[in-house]
Amino acid sequence: MKQPKILFFVIIALLPLVLVSCSLLGGAPVSGGWAGTALHDGIIYVGTRDGRVVAINASSREQQWSWPDTDTSRSLIYTTPIVDGDLVYVGTYSGQVYALTIDRGSERWVYPRTGSMGAIVGNPVIANETMYVSSSDGRVYALDTIYGDLRWKSEPLADKLWTSPVVVGDTLYVSTLDGHIYDLSLETGQSLGWSFKAEAGFASSPVVYEDHIYVGSFDRYLYAIEIGNNGSMWKFPQEEPAGNWFWASPIVNEGIVYAASLDGRLYGINATTGGEMWSYTTKDQKDEPSPIVSSPVLVDNLLIVVNKSGTVYVFDLGAEFGDEVVPSKTIPIGADVRSSFYAQDGLAYVRDENNKDNQLYVVDIDKGEVSWTFNLTEKEE
Amino acid sequence: MNPWDIIIGNPVLNVLIALSHGLGGSFGLAIIALTIIVRLITWPLNKRQLNSTKALQEMQPKIQELQKKYGKNQQKLQQEMMRLYKEAGVNPLGCLWPMLVQFPIWIALYQAIMRALATTPENLLDLAQRLYSWGIVNQAIPLSSRFLELDLGQTASANGGLGMLLAIIVGGTMWVQQKMTQAPAVDPRQESTSRMMTLMMPVMFGLLTFSFAAGLGLYWATSNIIGIITQYFITGGWGNLKFQSPFQRASAKGK
Repeated sequence: MKQPKILFFVIIALLPLVLVSCSLLGGAPVSGGWAGTALHDGIIYVGTRDGRVVAINASSREQQWSWPDTDTSRSLIYTTPIVDGDLVYVGTYSGQVYALTIDRGSERWVYPRTGSMGAIVGNPVIANETMYVSSSDGRVYALDTIYGDLRWKSEPLADKLWTSPVVVGDTLYVSTLDGHIYDLSLETGQSLGWSFKAEAGFASSPVVYEDHIYVGSFDRYLYAIEIGNNGSMWKFPQEEPAGNWFWASPIVNEGIVYAASLDGRLYGINATTGGEMWSYTTKDQKDEPSPIVSSPVLVDNLLIVVNKSGTVYVFDLGAEFGDEVVPSKTIPIGADVRSSFYAQDGLAYVRDENNKDNQLYVVDIDKGEVSWTFNLTEKEE
Repeated sequence: MNPWDIIIGNPVLNVLIALSHGLGGSFGLAIIALTIIVRLITWPLNKRQLNSTKALQEMQPKIQELQKKYGKNQQKLQQEMMRLYKEAGVNPLGCLWPMLVQFPIWIALYQAIMRALATTPENLLDLAQRLYSWGIVNQAIPLSSRFLELDLGQTASANGGLGMLLAIIVGGTMWVQQKMTQAPAVDPRQESTSRMMTLMMPVMFGLLTFSFAAGLGLYWATSNIIGIITQYFITGGWGNLKFQSPFQRASAKGK
């Protein structure tokens, strides 16, 4: 009887490990990423969870095209498509930047032509016919937007760069996952000699406003840094840290920093002193604070915030706020939202990261309701 | 957040990251330190197991006497052996319990390694929701997965030659530890089961090391080495590593 008893114990004990192992070794189709939405000339461009870029006509609400055709060339997409001229650009997690034609979604160029430049998570930016993209190989790449040729690549700045660079004049600023900010020459990619080190890493892209950089960190503080200075001007909160990391990039407008945290709160902060002006806690369906991953968007005088559990909050910045701020609209759409969203002309375009629903929501800000939705699940031919 | 994460998963994760920060950002040293902590926590169980093994090894002369006396009647032999164990207060299966107790810790550690290294944006976002508000934990992110040229977040197989060496160390140290802690067999059938287990477990763990993150292999290797050292000092020697069972000796004599 001993032999089966011992074997029984061993099998029961090892079963969880073997099951986990099997699940790890099994292959799976592309599923994930949080590509944002963009709108250009009435066409919505959005990355999908199955690794495609889809163009949707906002008027007819019909799909114009989808790229790529084959499953094998798909990859997770965390970046928001950018439109410039007659091309739409997208960076993929498999480490390529693609330029697609806006009318048909055909590939114009890909960089690199073979291999990978390292996973791309931060949104690329375009200035003067050059695309600047940070990569998980720790470098910033400058690519010619017309032909996709490499203009320069920086020295490795960190293990990983997951944020968008920001271009100011002839300088490019980039935050790194290990908590540095560097300035690079826009012409050559060489360091201009200034850097800043925070106490923790950055997944938040830097924002430049009046010679200062505002950026959120994993140590639960938002930093205001005077460019050229090695110390921070202030850290927010001024006493105890926030309830969680500052993942989303802040917005600065008319001397006020609007920063959202993974603790579910939106903060209004005096850009000069770092003092808290007000805060508002966003909630989920169970009335619990819900993390804010996607960066707030400011359109005219309306500040729009979408939390992870899919509630759209609209704050009218023209209204008088006391210590407590109240949103003018609260629109629950029930989506799982981590990606950047786009807002224009009273509409917000929000992508759902929930695998089951997989919708693009178009939210009417004025009416406070979902105007229409588009199912991003690939249609069977 | 489910009860598993609240009770085991998140505490192990946060302690691991805090250790990493305290040890100069070395995730490998943090795993080794956590292994020592786990060993200290499970020490009462391990000590009981080691004492039990020592008692079994000291009972060898009596067992041999019984084998001589009841060698032809297996049923009677087993009855007498069990009586002997009972009188000595020894459970021959007792050595399995410390191992079973460690399984939840292994699973929690595996999850902690994968979660702490957060290789994808989703992982990093998930990590943010699991961290305590301790400053040292949040400041430690992102962790470096490098330790002695090993990428602890990658499988041992993806680590090439060093990964293979790690798998061999895990298998080899487990074999040595098992041989040292092995209880003497009651009969030839148990002897063959025991021999099979002594081979099967190291091979299986060697293969698992190959398939899982190298950080888990580092935990297993460290845990085995600590086990060998404590076993050596508690039982005062190499135990069954240098000792042949009566059945092996009998078959050797027969040749």
